[in-house]
Amino acid sequence: MPVFKLCLKIFKQKLPVMMIYVGLFLGISLLIAGASKTDREKGFVQSKTNISVINYDQSPLVAGLINGLKEIAHIVPLEDEPSTLQDALYYRKVTYILRIPEDFTEKFLAGDEVWIEKTGIPNSIDAVYVDLQVNQYLRIAELYKSQSHMDSATIAEHIKRDMEIETEVKLNGGDEVKQDQSYAMFYYNYLAYSLFSVLILGISTIILVFNNQDLRRRNACSPITASSSNFQFILANGVFAVICWAIMVGFCIIFDYKNSNTPNTLLFLMNSFVFTLCAVSISFLVGNLVKNQEGISALTNVIALGPSFISGVFVPQEFLGEKVLKVASFTPTYWYVKANNTIANLNSFDMASIRETIGYTGIVLGFAVAFLALALVIGKKKQLSQEA
Amino acid sequence: MIVHVENLVKRYGELTAVDHLSMDVRQGEIFGLLGPNGSGKTTAINCILSLLKYDKGIIEIFDKPMTPYAYDIKKDIGIVMQNVAVFEELTVYENIDYFCGLYIKDKVQKEAYVKEAIDFVGLGDFIKFYPKKLSGGLLRRLNIACGIAHKPKLIILDEPTVAVDPQSRNKILEGIVALNRQGATIIYTSHYMEEVEQICSRIMILDKGRIIAEGTKEELKNMISLSEKISVEVFGLSEAHVKEIGLLPNITSVTYQNHTLDIKSHKGKNNLENVLDYIRKNGINFGTIYSEKPTLNDVFLEITGKELRD
Repeated sequence: MPVFKLCLKIFKQKLPVMMIYVGLFLGISLLIAGASKTDREKGFVQSKTNISVINYDQSPLVAGLINGLKEIAHIVPLEDEPSTLQDALYYRKVTYILRIPEDFTEKFLAGDEVWIEKTGIPNSIDAVYVDLQVNQYLRIAELYKSQSHMDSATIAEHIKRDMEIETEVKLNGGDEVKQDQSYAMFYYNYLAYSLFSVLILGISTIILVFNNQDLRRRNACSPITASSSNFQFILANGVFAVICWAIMVGFCIIFDYKNSNTPNTLLFLMNSFVFTLCAVSISFLVGNLVKNQEGISALTNVIALGPSFISGVFVPQEFLGEKVLKVASFTPTYWYVKANNTIANLNSFDMASIRETIGYTGIVLGFAVAFLALALVIGKKKQLSQEA
Repeated sequence: MIVHVENLVKRYGELTAVDHLSMDVRQGEIFGLLGPNGSGKTTAINCILSLLKYDKGIIEIFDKPMTPYAYDIKKDIGIVMQNVAVFEELTVYENIDYFCGLYIKDKVQKEAYVKEAIDFVGLGDFIKFYPKKLSGGLLRRLNIACGIAHKPKLIILDEPTVAVDPQSRNKILEGIVALNRQGATIIYTSHYMEEVEQICSRIMILDKGRIIAEGTKEELKNMISLSEKISVEVFGLSEAHVKEIGLLPNITSVTYQNHTLDIKSHKGKNNLENVLDYIRKNGINFGTIYSEKPTLNDVFLEITGKELRD
């Protein structure tokens, strides 16, 4: 397989330049990986807000309420001084202050209207959660009080028991807790730029070499059949593309191995492989269009970098303007990134859920076919003009 | 017949690059295609190798029709292109190994052939060099090694010595003769008449795509009336003397420029002696005298009315 071996030797020649792209890519990916190794990766972790309770009612009912609040918040002891309380709120020492009056339980059991005074940071989400907890406790207490004449200790005991009951919630669409795919999404998005650069650099160079009229004629004089020569040529480029793809996605699996054992990874792999095919097609086209190595370097920057900027590789698509995205939609990178973003948010993998992803990947495949057809037409035209 | 070409016509629009070319190359000969730049030599070779489509004609190699798909014919042909056709990305050894590998499947045999080719062209000290690092002469030798490494029966060399230093040129010409002695039939194209004259057993002269003469070098020279050229270094020759010398027997033309008297003569005995007698009798001072036989350039000049290097 002399043509096959020759192609691999030429790829080897271009290895140092390609390694710069791969190295840069892996370096940035490692940095991102390091930066994103937080607790969030483990999924949902409940966080507690800081609140303070100024309590003038030492009844079991109120004690039960405070104990309940301890489940969702850190109780910070504060002196009941207006300046102390204001400072605590201002400096975010606490986000919520609850004031329970002295006769709260007494009035509550007597059926009088009762008030709990609350002070919180305006528009604080934490406050809502505390409100919910307080309201829930008091509603249950109200329920017990209205049904029977229980004392405050018994009511508190019943509420505690009730609130300890946990209801199992089963999410529709899988038993697994959803894993964080944000790193993989970034990695596969950024892969678009690196893969494009490396493949254009490698494959276009090979095509440029083989398109040299003297070498083409010299090869045509040999007894190697055109079909065998073409087969070896395509095989070499295919092997090169698959190796590049495998190396790059392999590192993602290594860097993010905790989250890699999911169907999302399979979809990421499928999407990136289809994108690799598209990059190969574009590389064929570039190789048939350019006349020298300098042209390849220039086009690599335009083709790899340009769409990456406008398609959401470096800046998320959510932050890009509508018009920019409209233009970007004429590039395969846009659809590839869109598919990755969809895959990262997938939690269910039935046909209905992945249809959108398949659609985007299908568009990338369509681009691949179109570019390949264009490259073949231009290549054939070039060949015929040399034979005329 | 190794190569048989009959009425080959190749046109580029209005221009007829090869005009009804017919030629037969016999086994074991070095067949020279001589002609100025643009005479159609390379186009003819490209048509013979089916690298170019042609308008008309029959081409047979090894008595079989030559087509782009005649792979059984191609395996016995070695080609050395006019432009050096090697891979910049491969070393000298890798280039020869690649081109030899297109023909020879057996790894051991291929290795032996590659080594032989390297020794043959004298590139042993440069096997790890990339083509960019080679001089023009060495690059041409590499081009030849890539074309002949697989030991073909027919070798076509298209202007292999263009822009080559004299040392490399001699080495290349000696190599071609050696290949011929080893049994290869050779087609050699050039616009250097000295080279063709030196190594070719039969020569075809082309101009504007047409054959203007064909034969051995002796046959070609016999075709023209010019037999001898005499040059004499003379001082102070008058116009009257020049005219009188021109009237001597067999003399066809006389020119006097820069103290050199150039005389051309038809075939005939004692042409040089007659000129010297005249000079002596008239007491003319003279210096160096030399006489030379007509060259292929003279043949070309007489047939076409222009110099071969025009």
